[in-house]
Amino acid sequence: MKKEPGWIKRVFIDSHEYHKTMTSPERYRRFRRTLFLVMAITFLIPLIMTTWLSYYEYRSSMLSNLRWNAESATKTIETFLSEFQTVLAYTASGYTYEELIDQENLKKVFRRLKSNYPGVVDLGVLDHAGIQMAYAGPYDLLGKDYSDRECFKVVIANKIFIGMVEMGYRNVPHFCIAVSGFTSKTGQSWVFRASIDVTTLDKYIGNIGTGALSDIFLVSWKGDPQLQSSSRYFGAPLSPYPFDLPNNRIGITISEETSVQNDVVMTAVSYLEGTPWALVLLKHGYLYGKDWSFFKARLFFIVMVSTFLALLVILRITNLFVSRIREADEKRESMLAEIEHTSKLASIGRLAAGVAHEINNPLAIISEKTGLIMDLLQISDDFTHKEKIASQIKGTYDAVERCKVITHRLLGFARRMDVSLENININSLMREVLSFLDKEALYKGIHFELNLGASLPPIESDRGQLQQIFLNLINNAIDAIDKDGIVTLTTKLRNQNSVQVDITDNGKGIPQEIISHIFEPFFTTKDSGEKKGTGLGLFITYGLVKKLDGHITVRSRVGVGTTFTVILPTKTKLRRRTFDVESKGTDS
Amino acid sequence: MSKVKVLIVDDEKEFATTLAERLSIRGFETSAVFCTEDALALIHAKNIPDVVLLDLKMPRMDGMETLMEIKKYNPAIQVIILTGHGAGVPLAGIDRGKHGAFDCVMKPADINDLTAKIKQAMEKRQAILGKGEDV
Repeated sequence: MKKEPGWIKRVFIDSHEYHKTMTSPERYRRFRRTLFLVMAITFLIPLIMTTWLSYYEYRSSMLSNLRWNAESATKTIETFLSEFQTVLAYTASGYTYEELIDQENLKKVFRRLKSNYPGVVDLGVLDHAGIQMAYAGPYDLLGKDYSDRECFKVVIANKIFIGMVEMGYRNVPHFCIAVSGFTSKTGQSWVFRASIDVTTLDKYIGNIGTGALSDIFLVSWKGDPQLQSSSRYFGAPLSPYPFDLPNNRIGITISEETSVQNDVVMTAVSYLEGTPWALVLLKHGYLYGKDWSFFKARLFFIVMVSTFLALLVILRITNLFVSRIREADEKRESMLAEIEHTSKLASIGRLAAGVAHEINNPLAIISEKTGLIMDLLQISDDFTHKEKIASQIKGTYDAVERCKVITHRLLGFARRMDVSLENININSLMREVLSFLDKEALYKGIHFELNLGASLPPIESDRGQLQQIFLNLINNAIDAIDKDGIVTLTTKLRNQNSVQVDITDNGKGIPQEIISHIFEPFFTTKDSGEKKGTGLGLFITYGLVKKLDGHITVRSRVGVGTTFTVILPTKTKLRRRTFDVESKGTDS
Repeated sequence: MSKVKVLIVDDEKEFATTLAERLSIRGFETSAVFCTEDALALIHAKNIPDVVLLDLKMPRMDGMETLMEIKKYNPAIQVIILTGHGAGVPLAGIDRGKHGAFDCVMKPADINDLTAKIKQAMEKRQAILGKGEDV
């Protein structure tokens, strides 16, 4: 069962198309894009999550602090109001209505109360009709009618009342706290009320530490919200409060409001029990001495810079990575092509050797039979057509000899050979090879030019096989040029580990369409006259160079000439390695 | 001087008989057999050849085994491997000391080269016999 490719392979490589488009630009563009996206997502998700968590933690911490401050302030103000209510109720219960409507008595009570609570502006006693029957304080309010005032109506009904801040008869912002009781004689209701200066509230609230840029104040929740105490940002008491109050009247409600002095603020609102007030604690983004908007701006800056740098690095890494992969793919493709080529040549060589071997036996029979006929003709008397028969037999024998040359060369290439290694001076070897060809060069008027590199290191190789390689190549060069041509032999150090030999002719050159076939067996361009070739020379040369751990390439331009380059290692990996491509299982 | 006795061992009958005839024309006393068993039987029957032309690849018993058998029986008999197989040349050359073949010639062989080698082999045989080695 065929295994399904993993998701990474599916994402990065379309396996069906892989080999078809192994080095196509589109594949690498796609690979680069996918790799970039995966790396960017992999990097940016943790960054975004970390940033979001930092922001969330920061915000949570700030809101907790705000909530805690608001709760604390609410309790402080509620405690003050509760305490004052208790004092007022206790005072009312300690005197009779008649005692309290005595101005002198009321003034004594007022002085005592003011000594403990300086914020108390005045005291008053209202009868059941709402007329102020007694008054102690700085204003002339005796006899004033409060019957239509909310405070009178509510306190009669609820026994206790805390009023909104108002200007009233005093024309200064104040609020009143009132309690009601019944006269012992008539059983009618009466009211004991105290006015408290708003500055008292301001002082109380001002004592609640909330931070340098914070603001804390009371707001009325009845009707349009109005300030009930002084605010740093919104002004004096009775000024309008610009934001809506929350509907939730239980606990602390925190919200983010629009700009106050071009800054976003956080508000914590708490409704004070038994009062028409809500406490508002307002904070600029402020925690641990750091400005909220500055924090957000800095966080944004850090995220942007990190993201930009990360994307830059990812882009560079992706490009580098894809380039390396592309190079590796190209090398691999080139190697695969070379392996395929070598394998093809080896297979053809093996096949050719097998065929040559099979042909050798019948060829030997033909050779012996024709030889015998020639022997017999030689020892027999003359007869009709003897000469002609001898000539025909000689032709047959010569053809067999030509076949023999081919089969022996093929078998020589394919046979098992042990390599005899020795240290060889490549320049000396080239001169030896040229000495074999002196006469032929002289006959054809060919000139050899030698550019032999100085101080070349000796190479470890097989002398006989190197001779065959260069003999073949120089012979080819000679065949490729006309009379008076030039064959240039160049030796040089390629690098510390290899030596390069170039054999260049100024012949007619090899057309591009056939240059890729020249190392294949039986491929020849020498197809006429005395130059007729077997097509095995370069094939065998290629095999020999490969066997000696070398490398052979060819460059050619039609009409200019051809250069064969042989690169040989100075130290071969060959250690009595055999080169065995002989056929198996065939009879003699 | 008696003729040099040459035994040709090759499963290719046409080749063996034709070569035997050509060598006869050149003054050798030749006989041809077409399997190794017949060759060994001939030698064991005290019909000792001076030189054996031995093919390598043959049915049942190959040339190398036969070579060793011959050398074991009579080391003075000179054996020339005559094969169409590419492995023959280096094999006989490299392992000559081990297996004792005089030389190796690839098919199709030039008759003049072959007769020259037979004569050289004969000289070697005579040298061995002259030293009085146990044959």
